[in-house]
Amino acid sequence: MEIGVDIGGTFTDVVCRPPEGPPHILKLPTTRDDPGVAVLEAVRQLRAAGALADGEVARFVHGTTAATNAVLERRGATLGLLTTRGFRDVLEIGRQFRQALYSVKLTPETPVFLAPRAFRLEVTERVDAEGRVTEPLDEAEVVAAADELVEMGAEAIAIVFLFSFLNPDHERRAAALIRDRHPGLAISLSAEVDPAFREYERTAVTAFDAYIKPVVDGYLDRLEQGLRQAGVAAPLQIMQSRGGLSGTGVARERPVRMFLSGPAAGVMGARGIGAEMGEGDLISIDMGGTTCDIALVEGGEPTVRQEGAIDGFPVRVSMVDVNPIGAGGGSIAWIDGAGGLRIGPRSAGSEPGPACYGRGGAAATVTDASLLLGYLDPDNFADGAVPLRPELARQAIAETVAEPLGLPLAEAALGIHRVVNAQMAEGIRAVSVRRGHDPRHFTLIALGGAGPLHATALAEELGIRRALIPPHPGVLSAQGLLDARLEHEVTAAFGRPLAEVTAADLADALAVIDGQAADLMAREGAGAEACSRHHFADVCFVGQSYHLSVPVSLTLDDPVAALYQAFRETHDRIHGHSAETPAQVVNLRTVHRHGGAAAGRPSVAPPATGGGGTGRRQVRLPGSAEAVEVPILRRSELTAGQRIAGPAIIEQPDTTTLLDSGWRARVGAGLTLILEPEAEA
Amino acid sequence: MPATAPTIDPVTLEVLRNKLDGIANEMQSTLLRSSFSPIVKEGLDASASLFSPDGETLAQSISIPIHLATLIPVVRTFLREFPLKTLGQDDLLVMNDPYLGGTHLPDIAVMMPIFHRGRPIALSAAMTHHQDVGGMTPGSVPTHATEVFQEGVRIPPLKLRQGGVMNDTFIAMMRRNVRMPDAFIGDLNAQIAACTVGARRLVEVAERHGADTLATAFTELLDRSEMMTRQSLAAIPDGSYRYTDYLDNDGIDLDRPIRICATVTVANGEMTCGFEGTSPQVRGPFNCVPSGTAAAALFAVRAITDPEIPTNGGCFRPVHLDLPADSLVNPSEPAPVNSRTATIKRITGCILGALKDVLPDRIPADSGGELLTLQFGGRRRDGSTYVVGDLIASGSGASDLGDGVDMIETDATNCMNLPVEALELEAPIKVHRFGLRPDSGGAGRHRGGLGGLREFEVMAGEVTVTYRGERHDHPAAGARGGEAGAAAAAEIQRRDGAIEAIPSKQVVTLMPGDRLIVETAGGGGHGPAAERDPAAEAADLRNGKVSPEAAARQKVDE
Repeated sequence: MEIGVDIGGTFTDVVCRPPEGPPHILKLPTTRDDPGVAVLEAVRQLRAAGALADGEVARFVHGTTAATNAVLERRGATLGLLTTRGFRDVLEIGRQFRQALYSVKLTPETPVFLAPRAFRLEVTERVDAEGRVTEPLDEAEVVAAADELVEMGAEAIAIVFLFSFLNPDHERRAAALIRDRHPGLAISLSAEVDPAFREYERTAVTAFDAYIKPVVDGYLDRLEQGLRQAGVAAPLQIMQSRGGLSGTGVARERPVRMFLSGPAAGVMGARGIGAEMGEGDLISIDMGGTTCDIALVEGGEPTVRQEGAIDGFPVRVSMVDVNPIGAGGGSIAWIDGAGGLRIGPRSAGSEPGPACYGRGGAAATVTDASLLLGYLDPDNFADGAVPLRPELARQAIAETVAEPLGLPLAEAALGIHRVVNAQMAEGIRAVSVRRGHDPRHFTLIALGGAGPLHATALAEELGIRRALIPPHPGVLSAQGLLDARLEHEVTAAFGRPLAEVTAADLADALAVIDGQAADLMAREGAGAEACSRHHFADVCFVGQSYHLSVPVSLTLDDPVAALYQAFRETHDRIHGHSAETPAQVVNLRTVHRHGGAAAGRPSVAPPATGGGGTGRRQVRLPGSAEAVEVPILRRSELTAGQRIAGPAIIEQPDTTTLLDSGWRARVGAGLTLILEPEAEA
Repeated sequence: MPATAPTIDPVTLEVLRNKLDGIANEMQSTLLRSSFSPIVKEGLDASASLFSPDGETLAQSISIPIHLATLIPVVRTFLREFPLKTLGQDDLLVMNDPYLGGTHLPDIAVMMPIFHRGRPIALSAAMTHHQDVGGMTPGSVPTHATEVFQEGVRIPPLKLRQGGVMNDTFIAMMRRNVRMPDAFIGDLNAQIAACTVGARRLVEVAERHGADTLATAFTELLDRSEMMTRQSLAAIPDGSYRYTDYLDNDGIDLDRPIRICATVTVANGEMTCGFEGTSPQVRGPFNCVPSGTAAAALFAVRAITDPEIPTNGGCFRPVHLDLPADSLVNPSEPAPVNSRTATIKRITGCILGALKDVLPDRIPADSGGELLTLQFGGRRRDGSTYVVGDLIASGSGASDLGDGVDMIETDATNCMNLPVEALELEAPIKVHRFGLRPDSGGAGRHRGGLGGLREFEVMAGEVTVTYRGERHDHPAAGARGGEAGAAAAAEIQRRDGAIEAIPSKQVVTLMPGDRLIVETAGGGGHGPAAERDPAAEAADLRNGKVSPEAAARQKVDE
């Protein structure tokens, strides 16, 4: 028995998968004050439903928002930052860049809230650019600074010294001194969190790590204790931002790797569906209430970036490359000063939500348009949990869109869809083009409650010939948790021209971090022989300040030449050219993986029964001049191999799929829906 | 309007607007992705635009505001020299001459006419700051130039490609006149790629929606942005508002301040920026040709009007410039122009400053507006040479909302600083301090943002330092009773203990053991200092952003 629990802003999704037979799926309201409460409630309900009767829980995997929320709500630890003398302001100055290009009334763009200036203290020490100590660490100053910070209320300390990625001795010594004196403090060292050059980026990520450490620690403590009380003996595993799992022991030491826990699980879920369908190149769109998350899977692996952002601040840590754009079911349609129709980026969110939720929202949203067009069944939305009120949707669209624009009601609703689809299509193009890809060569996979309604329209807009709708698009993140692999990553600065590097140099440096990664895997109970190792190098042309991550293969005859070749090919694909000029290795990275669902394991889960009507309904399709009667199918009644001609609407508790005219669907072996243009089939 | 005026439904219009923005973004992404030079890759000093056939901006994707609308006069010149009816669909045009509509010589513009079924429907264009275009110094931004001829190669409007055939004569000429011919060609090819992407996608849109619909949409989108901009401008009380500020000097005549005097006249939803009283053109390279002055004015308009207005040429229709001949803001050749960035920053500040009193809720106190530009050149211990640059920001002005931001890029520029670790890895220079400069923010109910401080020490070899600062002599003014920020300052501490002050602009030589200490300007304060919230005052003391001495002085003044 395996259980995956993904906590979202509104719902906590649970997938409970027995070794044989269909999984059990639950959706509970997220308990914002303590998200763990919903997790434990899920276990209780599973047990009550008899889902846990036929065996022990072997794995309990969790995608958590604990780290993210601590930042968004500014609930992290009171943090002290210890720096090299002369550099306490690095965190506050950052790169002096502003994101608000045309703004003149500026607000701070760096995470000063982590440690205001009074909480940033300097100590005498210095390491030079070659890693040599030029001024010894003043240990008395370290102790005095730590005492002062603790006196001021610090619960955590981040230590960031210049060039510690070349020589971590001073940071380590300072940490040891502080641990001796203040054993309860959470401590993060930049040489351990992010051993790479550029002091601001390293400082920010280290400070974030320390800031959330006590919060994440407490959260995991409570959750583990609760699970034990609930009779779950399996160790708790956590999804990390780059799409691999970690045990809680390691996870709580490196909490900054958890920021994208939930979205990473979604992409891993998409990857799993793709593997099952034999599709390695995917664009996943996860459309929820306020945003649409766009991600790429290339050759069966999610695109991973080496630096991401949390709440607009940079965090230099590997994460699945998820790109949010401001388009969701709750995006608001409005009329600008010249009488033009605009959609978003403001959203009605889930509170008050679209007008049709009847919670006081007066603005017309994309979901209101979907309802008015007949795509959604007012009585079976979100499994009937949210009864929709068509008259409110009609009123909102009439008053705020149709009348001001002088459009018939249905035209206004269709217009809202056309505009939001155009926005999403441009967003998808931007993400693909930036990676050097043409979206036409990809398969679209639609997730989230709102995604499958837009799948055929988006595919058409982008020239994509195939779209997939997983059996459970609304809980794919929870399923992705179960499909993910245990994984640990260790990076080290290398900083040498490729021309001067030998295969032995690479092997030696990788052996060091392989040893560290193996130690981490051993703590998860995964022996070295059971793990796969993946080596990467961050490489740039000499003089460039951005780099690309390229695989390293030590087993080749000439790994250095192969690395250079691979780098140039990647550079050519992403940047459109690749001169035969000298390159430089900036960092080396190893990723150790273990287990996970075998690729292609069919998710035999038939979609939950109930929910969704059958029969026919009047629906206004994008290309038709008037409403037409369209068959309504229940997803749970579809069988593998079945073919459906568009137009049709397929309903299930967690989403609704719109199959436009000109498209057809077939049901795959794992019950994934495959949508293709008529002409193709 | 004739009864047959074509109309377009509001949904298609908005779909097309999203596509135009998307196409401009895709062009920009292609441009940045496929360029060679660090200045494009890391400085993002490039932009891509779509224009209507008569040269109005339909969509522009930029990463730094100094590019805003700078292609407009170039496109106008192209269309004058090469009317559209004389161009074919495989033609490309190129130019950079500041005196024919360009900006400064490194910025080279490429334009491609876009045809659909034989009819011109739009123009795509890309502007890139090239790493080198020849002239008296590597990088083609010689701070001591006194003539445009010293700044690099001037390219008049030319066909870069005709009927699909590249202009090899032009390429051959350029290759012999720039220092890095391969990078030059690479960046030029990236511009062509960007224009081609724009053309291809726009033709797809025309295929789908029809060229007539597209043309109607262009007209409508431009009209609508114009209308909304006029509405925003009409909300500003009519009147003529004046503001004066200074650049320290032009790098040649060190004791002569350069005056910029902006008169912003708002009437009937239109805005005219006049510069009567501004200094005549200067000997050094701080002159700013009209495209730069326009970028400053349009930045100001975008900053004060509703941010939800889609940015296109319609926003620029109600904005007019009145530029005195032979002046700093409208020089005559052969005045040098390469260092115009500092000038554009100050012009922006003056236009905003003029409106400070009538738009108190939208415009802050003056920002430091200093982007200190440092260049170090020398030899490493192994004899190899290095040139490394650093760009250091100043404090932003305080506003009715709150304190200014400490050390942040403002107005027309948005450059990143150089990490200390990057500098030390590159050159035998040690940084002793990099931090905020206490007491440099102008006092006020809301304090101005602090300037910054960096202390460098030369560890090996002789180093030539080019120091280009501002605000040494003319600090950033406060607003509504707030005080001015601290002036910028710099000095050399020689190894033997001697101290030498550095004026606003200077080239100095440092030896091992010598230290250079630079302090950038603070932003102006907002509101009377006596009204500062005691809690904010206490926090400033606790955080060491204001010293107890300065706080005490402030009390006495009050």
